[in-house]
Amino acid sequence: MPRDSEAPLPAGEASLPASEVSLRAGGTQLRAGETPFWAGRLPRLGILLAVVAVVLSFPSMAPSPYEITVGIAILNYAVLSTSWNFVGGFTGYISLGHGGFAGLGAYGTGLLVTKTELPPFAALFTAAVLVAAVAVPVGYAALRVRGASFVIVSIALVLILLLVFQSWSSFTGGSRGLVVPRPFPGMLRAEHHRTFYFLFAALLAAALLVWWIIDRSRFGMGLKAIREDEDKAQSLGTPTYTYKLVVFVVSAAFTSLAGGLYALWFGDLDPVFQFSILSGAYMVLMALLGGVRHLYGPVLGAVIVGYALEYSKVEFGDTPLHLVVAGLLLGVVVMFMPDGVIPAATALLDRFRKTGETSIREVTAAELRERRGQRNGTEEVRDSERSGSGSGTGTGSQT
Amino acid sequence: MSEAGAEAGPGPGARPEPEPSLATVGLIKAFGGVTALDSATVTFHHGKVNALIGPNGSGKTTFFNCVTGMIRADAGRITYRGRDITGKPPHRIARAGIGRSFQLCRVFPRMTVLDNLLAAVRPSGLAGQLAGAGKREETERARSWLARMGIEHLERAEARQLSWGQQKLLELAGVLMSEPELVLLDEPAGGVNPALIDRICELVRELNAEGRTFLIVEHNMDLVMSLSDHVVVFDRGRPIAQGPPSVIQSDERVLGAYLGV
Repeated sequence: MPRDSEAPLPAGEASLPASEVSLRAGGTQLRAGETPFWAGRLPRLGILLAVVAVVLSFPSMAPSPYEITVGIAILNYAVLSTSWNFVGGFTGYISLGHGGFAGLGAYGTGLLVTKTELPPFAALFTAAVLVAAVAVPVGYAALRVRGASFVIVSIALVLILLLVFQSWSSFTGGSRGLVVPRPFPGMLRAEHHRTFYFLFAALLAAALLVWWIIDRSRFGMGLKAIREDEDKAQSLGTPTYTYKLVVFVVSAAFTSLAGGLYALWFGDLDPVFQFSILSGAYMVLMALLGGVRHLYGPVLGAVIVGYALEYSKVEFGDTPLHLVVAGLLLGVVVMFMPDGVIPAATALLDRFRKTGETSIREVTAAELRERRGQRNGTEEVRDSERSGSGSGTGTGSQT
Repeated sequence: MSEAGAEAGPGPGARPEPEPSLATVGLIKAFGGVTALDSATVTFHHGKVNALIGPNGSGKTTFFNCVTGMIRADAGRITYRGRDITGKPPHRIARAGIGRSFQLCRVFPRMTVLDNLLAAVRPSGLAGQLAGAGKREETERARSWLARMGIEHLERAEARQLSWGQQKLLELAGVLMSEPELVLLDEPAGGVNPALIDRICELVRELNAEGRTFLIVEHNMDLVMSLSDHVVVFDRGRPIAQGPPSVIQSDERVLGAYLGV
């Protein structure tokens, strides 16, 4: 069988020089006798453990309860943004309406506690289940449209909810707000903050774990195919609509948990802040800033945006300047790092460590030619007019 | 569900009628005032290489989109091996055994070449959905398709980095990974150099010999006439001729349609 099917590389930039093709060492390219598969993951595991250690020890190191509240705000952002990323990152559907689910979770929890006397944490989870149930018809309608239309539908959701919760004051308290009783009544303020810091950290861990499981699953592969090309994914047999709806509901449930936990922590809800497009926009900004394709992208984005917002609020007081800061960050992302900080940083790092036990490395045309040369006893090599274009059969088939 | 092939009953000895694969009856699709498909009634043959040809705008791609469920026909019936698939969503039709390529070849641009194939695996059940993607057996199967296309050395590259020809091969590999019985190819030779056209023809013949049915929309007449067993000619949204290539080549209506009435 002639193996020259690479011949059609057209001239010009479309013909990809092999030097641009990243191949993963430790994968199929390097076989037996090389480093074991987990070797590349050790540094990552180390970084993860270090970050976990810092997160867990932060409350003990914080000089005052104020720093802990900043930590809680950032963790809350991180949970919200990670929850948003179930839809945004996997399927590429940009929802600006997730603030609505957070608000529903917060009000749901608050109302269940005050009206039904459910224990606070039972109320939290009941509210999440209810919000998930609400997300089914919402997703059923919204996920029929793509692109900008979906964004607009998602905005409409928040605005409708804002109107409902403001106007229905006999039930929700309206603009006067809703006071949610503290779940730990006897607890001092500092201890209250510390406890919620760890609760938010646990919720974040749960959200990250579920995202990670989906990311590496076949379900996740189908979702990512939707992000890439929905029609194509469907033509390959992926039930795209069901997939989108399932992940939308999961996303809404986690968003609701974050909102509900916020309600229990903060204890005072106002429709204007709970059902705001701004909170949904922050989720999007943070995820985009960190990198939507990465597990930790939204978390990193939350740290950067959360800190920047908090800093500007302290620095500039009660002015809208923190919005300017958020706008500037969005501009920086869009212009310089469209894929987010994590891919940009990874690309930068890869420039410094081209070989060795890194996971990604480049193969130059010369290397590829040499490798091919070792095998061309059986294979016809043809790269007549375009020498060095990534043609040929590279590694040959696995033995 | 019981197999609907009961009435077909193809005895190995007697071969009067080829078994129908994809068939449509009175398929109509209009876009605004333009009638893309005008009561198209066609039958393609199971186990063969079928071709669908016709001038630009004769409704070939609309036909593809209708039978794969990408767009809904206004009227008419579509069957696949006796089973009615009219109005089914694309993923159901894919799972019924019909795979397709697109006119302007479509791959998942920001996925690796290997993931492009793994995304075509169809898991079933909750456990299957949540199991890790790229199990050994799946990966091996994906690699063997890539090897067959001659692009296995690119498995870690992102699909968008590939050349047009490589993307065409990748798209075909992805379609085959989804294990279709019937493969619809929309202009497989479009924008492709002669060496690769030969390679694609050879692949189609091999895969057909292994039992896959093909339906190919193509403008390259040499390819169509040398490759196919059964040719259907469309003009203005309806078939004007059907038959083996030798008959089609000398059909006056076909010549008329191509030269312009």
